[in-house]
Amino acid sequence: MFNSKRPRHQLSKAIEGDLRLSDLKPGEKGRIQEIGGSEQFRQRLIEMGLTRDAEICVDKYAPLRDPLELIIRGYHLSLRGMDAQKISVERIS
Amino acid sequence: MSFNIAIAGNPNCGKTTIFNGLTGARQHVGNWPGVTVERKSGHYSFADQRFDVIDLPGTYSLSAFSAEETIARQYLLDEGPDVVVNIIDASNMERNLFLTTQLIESGRPLVIVLNMMDMALEKGLEIDSETLSTLLGAPVVPVIGRTGEGLDLLREKILRVATEISQKSRPIDIIYPRDIEAEIQKINTLLEKSPLAERQVRWTSVKLLESDEETHHAVRAVDGGKEILDQTNDSIARIERLFKDTGRAVISHARYGFIQGAIRECVVENLSDAVDSSRQIDRILTNRWLGLPIFGFFMWLMFKITYDIGSIPMAWIDSVLVALMNFVSGVLPESMIASLLVDGVIGGVGAIAVFLPNIFLLFFIIAMLEDTGYMARVAFIMDRVMHNIGLHGKAFIPMIMGFGCNVPAIMGTRILESRRDRILTVLINPFMSCSARLPVYVLVAGAFFPENAATVIFSMYVLGVVAAIASGKLFSKTILKGMSKPFVLELPPYQRPTFRSLSLHTWERGYIFIQKMGTVILVGSIIIWVLGYFPTEVTLDRDYNAERANVSTQYAQELQDLTLKYEASIATDSSTYYSEMLSYRASSGYHMLNTQYLDIKAKLNASEQAEIFSLKQQEIGDITEQKWIGQVGKIFEPIVRPLGFSWRESVALITGFVAKEIVVSTYGVLFGVGENVDEGSHGVISGLRSSGMTPLVALSFLVFTLLYTPCLATVAAIKRETGTWAYTLFSIGYSLGLAYTLAFCVTYFGGMFNWLS
Ligand SMILES: Nc1nc2c(ncn2[C@@H]2O[C@H](COP(=O)(O)OP(=O)(O)OP(=O)(O)O)[C@@H](O)[C@H]2O)c(=O)[nH]1
Repeated sequence: MFNSKRPRHQLSKAIEGDLRLSDLKPGEKGRIQEIGGSEQFRQRLIEMGLTRDAEICVDKYAPLRDPLELIIRGYHLSLRGMDAQKISVERIS
Repeated sequence: MSFNIAIAGNPNCGKTTIFNGLTGARQHVGNWPGVTVERKSGHYSFADQRFDVIDLPGTYSLSAFSAEETIARQYLLDEGPDVVVNIIDASNMERNLFLTTQLIESGRPLVIVLNMMDMALEKGLEIDSETLSTLLGAPVVPVIGRTGEGLDLLREKILRVATEISQKSRPIDIIYPRDIEAEIQKINTLLEKSPLAERQVRWTSVKLLESDEETHHAVRAVDGGKEILDQTNDSIARIERLFKDTGRAVISHARYGFIQGAIRECVVENLSDAVDSSRQIDRILTNRWLGLPIFGFFMWLMFKITYDIGSIPMAWIDSVLVALMNFVSGVLPESMIASLLVDGVIGGVGAIAVFLPNIFLLFFIIAMLEDTGYMARVAFIMDRVMHNIGLHGKAFIPMIMGFGCNVPAIMGTRILESRRDRILTVLINPFMSCSARLPVYVLVAGAFFPENAATVIFSMYVLGVVAAIASGKLFSKTILKGMSKPFVLELPPYQRPTFRSLSLHTWERGYIFIQKMGTVILVGSIIIWVLGYFPTEVTLDRDYNAERANVSTQYAQELQDLTLKYEASIATDSSTYYSEMLSYRASSGYHMLNTQYLDIKAKLNASEQAEIFSLKQQEIGDITEQKWIGQVGKIFEPIVRPLGFSWRESVALITGFVAKEIVVSTYGVLFGVGENVDEGSHGVISGLRSSGMTPLVALSFLVFTLLYTPCLATVAAIKRETGTWAYTLFSIGYSLGLAYTLAFCVTYFGGMFNWLS
């Protein structure tokens, strides 16, 4: 009755790469390498412009340390730390 | 002739503003079939043609991952609007154009609107719309939705595209990297031979490569579908091998590549000196240390304004209602119809009407929070807290609002984007103790815990919050599991709100309240009225009229005795008065007698009044017991007996279903103090105390009142916002069950240890 929609695309993807988006400090920039997690999550982020090699900047953390505010393709976006952990990046200075 | 126009665009790009600009006031707000996603439609005339406009839900893409996307996509593909108007936030083109690439592929005639040109200018962006138009193969119209600049040109372009069906400007194709194009061609060739050839072949091929479920379904169903799908799987495998990523990701990446190319050609970015003012504001408003206190202050202010300022017009409405009731009972003879009109209709609907100022104020403030962009920051600040219950940060606002009144709070869940979040927030909201429950707490706690009333009341609020959190956790792990969406929140730049937009949003939401709540409440209050009115003939064990007459004669007798005694003493006094005419003492003695007499007489009068009044109210109590409502109370008495409740509590709780504060006035009636009891009323307090209720049962009653079935207006709001009876009935059943269980625990375990007996 309540689960009118069956869950789709729940396959999740493990990613490699040591440095994660969540490891960047406020003000630091990175280049996106790979995005892990469920297919739905990956696709959502890619559609919002978090494609491979896109430049992303960690602007700040929320007062309670989570979520974080990012700047990507000229706009501001917020993700939770646990989701930012699924994104591997390459630091750029 | 008339044309169908669909407006599509990202969330927050100004779709609603443009929609309103085009259609003016001629619009209709409803829901899309089967889901509670708002569906706005309207129309306008231009050059003697009629244009029916529909505002599609705001989406970032057409990938059908969410209800909004599915709706937008189905509408575009199945209804085939004559023109799709794609609104783009000119100050944020890159991401906005992503949806455009998909709209181009869907093959519908397109008009592209560059909205928020003012913001783009401020950002130092110079956009060559001619070049952009050539690159995208569709007319591009720069617009400032807020002022309406450019809307006339937009109407003209829509007309031209609609009438020409864009024969001249051939829609362009988004060109993908060569290896992908090769695979698209392979699938195209197969599709062109299949029954799907008349649909947009390229769109279908791309969607197949993107592993789009619905397209796969559609293809599987046709002749030769298997062959196409085999080819698709081959192609996807090849793409994944070549690009080391899923077909879907590769294609999205390629779309962004196309967009970046287009932007390079037609946008010049002048590095402006203007500081990013939005970022400056955020330095303070979402500051590590200041962010929370400032948010707290705003919440406090919102409460203050809603309930304090709201109480002023509330009093006006109240006095209008009273005047109306008096007027109706004045002109109509006392009859069933009069009672139905006054007590049922005016009383019942009036009980809701007095909330209108609160609700409109609240919606106005919410519109302000949304239009300025602060609402997104609320989600940002509070997400950490709400995440614990499996909710989105924005859900904090409706939860807090629940302390005021659950009805606007539940309607406020519309600010949440995901249906699952909305339902979860709606279901736990009634546990936030609304202001209507306070009078009940004050009355019962005042009667049984005079020393610790404040503590008892406060713990009710805490219990409500705990129940909400626990239920939230429970629901998100059970019935609403797995429907959660990832937290991906855009933080748009701050904006100065316009009054027009604020009043529009306020009115849209408020109107729904008036419309829906009005009908449900009307029916509900008539039902309660019927229960309280019938049967009209009741037989009473006691003859109250005789008893009252008896009291009157008793008092008349006493008064007569008193007067006689007084006159006698005056007579004796006056005889001495003459003999000691000059004595000061005597005259003061005379005065003393006189005041004493008047004093006693007044006291006698007062106690006569009181006794008669009390008899009258006992009679009402007795009558109520025999009315259907009392009988219903008796029927339910065995059920609530384990909690220690009597039929009185049973009746009070049933009437409390209309509105929880009615519990107090019901007690007033049952204990014969009259309907207009204020919370501290001694009659009810002594009545409650002498009714055999122990402090423990009183506590249990409070717990039950806090948690049980939300009031009728809230139920109506739940039905409205969840859109299904299933959730509404579930909410009623769950809260009843929880209330019963916890109240039982209080009575049972308290009784076991002899607490508060
Ligand atoms: N500066 C500026 N602001 C605009 C313009 N058009 C709309 N806005 C503002 O942008 C905000 C969002 O506009 P809406 O019309 O509500 O956007 P929407 O796309 O319908 O948003 P959703 O309903 O969330 O999908 C509002 O605060 C508008 O006042 C514009 O041309 N210039």
